[in-house]
Amino acid sequence: MTNSDTPAVRITDLGKTYPGAKSPALEGVSLSVEPGEIVVLLGLSGSGKSTLLRHVNGLETPTKGAVVSLGETVADLRGRDLRALRGRIGFIFQQFELVGALSVLENVLTGGLATLRGPRVGVLTYPRALREKALGHLDRVGLLEFAYQRADQLSGGQQQRVAIARALMQDPEILLADEPVASLDPESSSQVMALIREIAAERSLTVICSLHQVDLALSWGDRILGLRGGRVVLDTSTDDLTREEVMEIYGRVATTTSEIAALEDELAEAREQIRTREAERSAARERLTEDFANEEPA
Amino acid sequence: MTTLAERPVLGGRLASVPRPAPRLSTIVSYGVIIAILALGVWSFIGLDYSLKSLDTTGKNISRFLTMATPMQWPGWEVAGERQADGTTAYVTTWVGFEPIWQMFLTIVITLALVIAGTALAAVLSVPVAYGAARNTTPHAAVLALCRGIGVVARAVPDIVFVVVFAILWFNSGTLPAIVAIGLHSVGMISKMFADAIEQIDEGPRLAIRSAGGSKAQEFWSGIVPQVLPAWIAVALHRADINLRGTVILGVVGVVGIGYELDGALHGGPAGMRRVIPLVVIIIVLCVLFEIVSSLLRTRLLGVQPTGKGIGDTVSRAVSRKQAAGTGSVSTGSARTLDRHARIEAAMHRPWDRSRIGNTVWIWLGILVVVGAFVYAAPDVTKMFAPTWSELVDPARDRAVWPPHFGSRSWADVMGAVITTIQIAFAATLMGAIISAVVGPLSARNVAPNSWVRNTFRGIALVIRAIPDLVVAILFIIAAGIGPQAGALALGIGGVGLLAKLIGDSMEEVPNGPERALVAGGSTRTQVFFSSTMPMSVPAMVSHLMYLLEQNIRSATLLGIVGAGGIGFLLLNALQGRHFDEVLAYVLVIIGMVVLVESASILIRRALK
Repeated sequence: MTNSDTPAVRITDLGKTYPGAKSPALEGVSLSVEPGEIVVLLGLSGSGKSTLLRHVNGLETPTKGAVVSLGETVADLRGRDLRALRGRIGFIFQQFELVGALSVLENVLTGGLATLRGPRVGVLTYPRALREKALGHLDRVGLLEFAYQRADQLSGGQQQRVAIARALMQDPEILLADEPVASLDPESSSQVMALIREIAAERSLTVICSLHQVDLALSWGDRILGLRGGRVVLDTSTDDLTREEVMEIYGRVATTTSEIAALEDELAEAREQIRTREAERSAARERLTEDFANEEPA
Repeated sequence: MTTLAERPVLGGRLASVPRPAPRLSTIVSYGVIIAILALGVWSFIGLDYSLKSLDTTGKNISRFLTMATPMQWPGWEVAGERQADGTTAYVTTWVGFEPIWQMFLTIVITLALVIAGTALAAVLSVPVAYGAARNTTPHAAVLALCRGIGVVARAVPDIVFVVVFAILWFNSGTLPAIVAIGLHSVGMISKMFADAIEQIDEGPRLAIRSAGGSKAQEFWSGIVPQVLPAWIAVALHRADINLRGTVILGVVGVVGIGYELDGALHGGPAGMRRVIPLVVIIIVLCVLFEIVSSLLRTRLLGVQPTGKGIGDTVSRAVSRKQAAGTGSVSTGSARTLDRHARIEAAMHRPWDRSRIGNTVWIWLGILVVVGAFVYAAPDVTKMFAPTWSELVDPARDRAVWPPHFGSRSWADVMGAVITTIQIAFAATLMGAIISAVVGPLSARNVAPNSWVRNTFRGIALVIRAIPDLVVAILFIIAAGIGPQAGALALGIGGVGLLAKLIGDSMEEVPNGPERALVAGGSTRTQVFFSSTMPMSVPAMVSHLMYLLEQNIRSATLLGIVGAGGIGFLLLNALQGRHFDEVLAYVLVIIGMVVLVESASILIRRALK
């Protein structure tokens, strides 16, 4: 368990450039998340939200800077230690990522694999205590009666709730969610978001969740992190934020100073064009009025 | 008024229309077609399909038929009595059920060997496929190694493994046959297993990784459930192929129906009368087995409704509705129970219809596989006491290494290789020409009416159902030993496969251009030559290469039963226990197969 005065996640000057990519996916990201905080990541697609989340549990390794999750420097961990850390961090995916051919219960049980040695095939190969726990979590998300159904027979919202139960099997201290409701209908979306909030409160979880609905983010999170082109452009509590301020995150994306300069040049050029065109038009108008003026007396 | 610029006359402009260089896939497609045509014609000439040889073939067939009739089916005895006028009168008498029972046991042991061998191959293929799939392999070197294992296992005929193991583990019963089928099948099975792994959805695997799962847990919980239906389907398909292959294994003494056939062929006049019934039994067995295996395959792949078709959509909708229905009902009753009791009640999975069904199928499968091993009863203990001296003993002039061709010169061996290749090319050309008629006419968008389509589909289906290797053996027996008969049989056998593939790929052609041509008043023939055919050319070339690969392999095997070529040299070396020669021929065969497979991969890549 983490100390209450050490942050749950501390990121310092994180940079990530994918091999073969021209511009970095993340650049100079520094932030820290306190235990129990509910943070929402906002930004256009491609702004680095998923990449940032994936650094927290070591699915990605940074090209620069460091990520310290639950007191451990993620990039330094290998093998069993890395798996142990991942076991303490739950992850919810946009596409749920359940194994469709397995039963709902077995999917939930896979969340507990980090505590077991060796592979498991079939529900009965998991210890009884884990099975009871899994059913308890399924009951918590309201899907106990679906335990023995194939996971791919459930609706999207139900599958996401199963994924939440799977994450709960890890007894996580941090919950990461990558666009958890982006593929759900509005009704299931609000159900799932409410469920995550409730569970976070029950277990005093630290939550980092990327979203793309600004209104939802404002009402749901405690703090908003705005990403644009791999950089943090906004980091404030939701209390003193207006919708308009948040919308600025989605302003035209410019990542580097040269790009900004280019954009400014483009803007100046456009202004120049408008000016010359207006000058032409006013000149023409003057000529016309002159003509009229000359003709009228005749 | 503006005046249009003077336009150059049409002729001049036509000359300056840019002609872009043809695309690579076009060049490759037509190149392959021309090459197969040319090599096919060269092979026909090389194999001496003259009128004279056709005449000999005709005589051979009629002689065979006089010898093979009247047929002696199990349960009957045919006895010839010489009459006073020099002719022979045949009397057929019923001898009871004993021979029928014996035949039944022969079929059972054949099936047991096939199932045990295929099951062994499936198990061995799992680690090989794990290493050979790009998304699971631990290292590039492991990838190359595992793919290499696959290529070699595919290239070495199972008959070689049988003979080597039969000597290595002397007197071990069916062990050599099971292991031989197992090792050879790893070639195809591991490749298709790896393909299935490469096609999985990576998401669930990633989810298990982020929950802290190990590599092994990722594999068993994230990958295996996704690929299992495909894997079982592959194994069933391979079992089908292996059943046909056991006919050839009979030549080197593997028990089963192939051995019976070999015995009948060498059993004098009384044996010859059993040949046709045996071949008929083999064909019926193969057809029945294929029907069962394809029914199982559709059932297996049908369990998972993931497609976009109307059937899948409906079944998904139905199951979701059922789920929702049961859900609401039990929530109502569950509310009354307390949380603990609810969970306790859910600890035991109810025996609903799907659970009973699944359990029955799983246990039936296990029972069949275990039963196959038990019935075949291989003496596994011999595996741990191999008699290496039989394979490697310098004192008795017996060595595997160094490989050499014995008394044969390189020219002889190359001549044999060329014969095998000629059989394959002649068969491919023959199959291609017949399929060029049968295939399109079995396509919905080409056939003038449904009657024609169904007739040609039926023809392809019937040819496909008959095992071509078995037919080839019958041909070789009937028409006399020689490559002509082998090529003929393979050529006709290939129609079943190629015609179906061509028909399918023509139906898959986008139908927009066809409609446009019809709207412009084109006839059906014009539509076919202007739209359907040019658009399906790349697919057809790819199928043609596949058939060629198959035919090279089959031509090698046919050599063993008398079609000549490299297979015949291999059989001679095997029978003489000259393992250095066996190794040399096996290396030649591997080289041949690797060459054809790489050419095929390159061509298919160029077609994309």
